[in-house]
Amino acid sequence: MIKREIGGIIFYHRNLIQNERLEKEAGFLRQRLNTAKEIYLENKRLKGLLYFKQKSAYKMTAVRVIGRSADNWSSVVVIDKGGFNGIKRGFVAITPSGLSGRVIEAADYTSRVRLINDPNFAVSAIVQRSRQEGLVCGTLGRSLIMKYLPKDCDIRAGDVVVTSGLTEAYPKGLLIGSVVNIGEEFSGLSRYAMIKPAVGLSDIEELLIIIQ
Amino acid sequence: MKNWIFLGIIIICALLQATALNSVSIFGVKPDLLFIGVFYASIFFGVAWAVSLSIFAGFLKDMLCVNTFGVNTLLFPLFCLILIKLSREISLDNNFIRMLSLFILVLINDIIARVIFLFWGNFISWGIFLRTTFLEALYTAVVLPLVFKAIRRAL
Repeated sequence: MIKREIGGIIFYHRNLIQNERLEKEAGFLRQRLNTAKEIYLENKRLKGLLYFKQKSAYKMTAVRVIGRSADNWSSVVVIDKGGFNGIKRGFVAITPSGLSGRVIEAADYTSRVRLINDPNFAVSAIVQRSRQEGLVCGTLGRSLIMKYLPKDCDIRAGDVVVTSGLTEAYPKGLLIGSVVNIGEEFSGLSRYAMIKPAVGLSDIEELLIIIQ
Repeated sequence: MKNWIFLGIIIICALLQATALNSVSIFGVKPDLLFIGVFYASIFFGVAWAVSLSIFAGFLKDMLCVNTFGVNTLLFPLFCLILIKLSREISLDNNFIRMLSLFILVLINDIIARVIFLFWGNFISWGIFLRTTFLEALYTAVVLPLVFKAIRRAL
């Protein structure tokens, strides 16, 4: 114990330099570990996308989200592919979890995708169990709203909502989300349902664009 | 030199607004860093530079938004001029007064912007409008002292 303490005093300068070097090395390794973790997570996500792409009946292209709308009035993401990659206005964006949005602008190298929680987004949908039709719109928040449901509609919390295929641009059967609660419109003429989207819209990093 | 650095800060604010700020959004609403930038320029810069920077900030915001081209380029310098006039009438030295002024200005900005969008056929329901407007104004006002501190440190 005493020997160690004396050694520490004698070799103080050497230990100090060694400590500085090791601290630098630890910082560098921590950074590399973080990068490796990011690559691992990205690899995991991309593997999932690739698996889905191979199993799916649609022809799709994978894109990366590189930006979002700067204002609070729209829910739009910018993707890293555009007209040069075959992406056109009106193409549907999905993830393995379900419907994500639609391409609204396609430049040469980038495009903008309107997400399903944008208030200007609307898609004809049906409740999978009862085949009840309605119009799903965005609310800018974390949930969607299914409007124009008749007063006597057969809909329950937990019901799955999918695209109906009536809006021609969207293929039939794409998962939108599940019903969380049902309410009555202010007019009392119809009902609405709040829907939790199947896709985590706030943390989308990659998307698949249906080409055909 | 200070003016050019501030121009860089505006660009950084625009980039943050379109990328990282999304992770700190509350109920899908994020603070408007560019509006805070315009607010700062109106108080601490000369009229010519403040208006020029506001036009630039508005232009950047319009570029990064959807279906809004021209609205912010038009409104930001307008609010800049209002703020310059206001700063001559009342003292904007106190953080609380600054936050209150910013809160009111963001509210007015959102109301004007929504009216313009309404004429363009871009309708948003009252509930969403009220929630987003109030939250945006509040959130932007709350982060104002922090952003001011960061800008001062950078300048």
